[in-house]
Amino acid sequence: MTDLIASMAASASGMAAQSARMRLVGENIANADTPGYRRKLVAFESLASGTVEAGRVTLDQSQPVRQYDPSHPMADTSGYYDGSNVNLVLEIADAREAQRGYEANLRLFDQARQMSSAALTLLRR
Amino acid sequence: MSNELTILQMASGLAQHSGARLSLISQNIANADTPGYVARDLPDFGATWAQGQGVQLTASRAGHFGSTPGQASTRATESATFGTMSPNGNNVAIEDQMMRAAAIRQDHELALGVWSKSLDMLRTAIGKRG
Repeated sequence: MTDLIASMAASASGMAAQSARMRLVGENIANADTPGYRRKLVAFESLASGTVEAGRVTLDQSQPVRQYDPSHPMADTSGYYDGSNVNLVLEIADAREAQRGYEANLRLFDQARQMSSAALTLLRR
Repeated sequence: MSNELTILQMASGLAQHSGARLSLISQNIANADTPGYVARDLPDFGATWAQGQGVQLTASRAGHFGSTPGQASTRATESATFGTMSPNGNNVAIEDQMMRAAAIRQDHELALGVWSKSLDMLRTAIGKRG
């Protein structure tokens, strides 16, 4: 039974980590048009107990996209300003992967719950 | 009579084994995006039972209670998965883990079914109905 509880704990930590990742995807997409914004990245870290957590947030150091808009307040003499380095396609792909991971964790959580309740029904007979 | 008890032991061993395996599979799925993580699994129940001890505590460290060297087959081992290793060194294939989880569920249901039917037979033998 403790194994099943540990299994649910691992799945729950996986879901939490995937949602943290999804939150960063949301922040990146929301800031896609913010000048100078760098997209946020997170790498997962495995803990000794077998659970997982989202590690430190790092910033993508790739070059921002130069936008041409001479009327923009931040434009330089040539009429360009630094936009964000958010790539929307990349963010959507990341979101899909996070969703898939979340669903897999959820399925295993449900299976562990069903298995423990099946074991408990034996006590009720 | 002793046959029945062996069956009960075996059923509870299989139930414990599938619980322990499910815990490892859950950890694999939770770490499906962790860089450098390698999937782990327990060996078959048949292999552990053939050693004549049923299932033992899973010891992740040498000093843990119940861990005895030499019973390697009850310890979590890195599992070979199909598919390729991703560039960040993670080899968890979610599809493979889902198949293992389905097999575990079947094992667990089998164990619980055998357990309850064996108890029914024992009850019938001592003269109680249903």
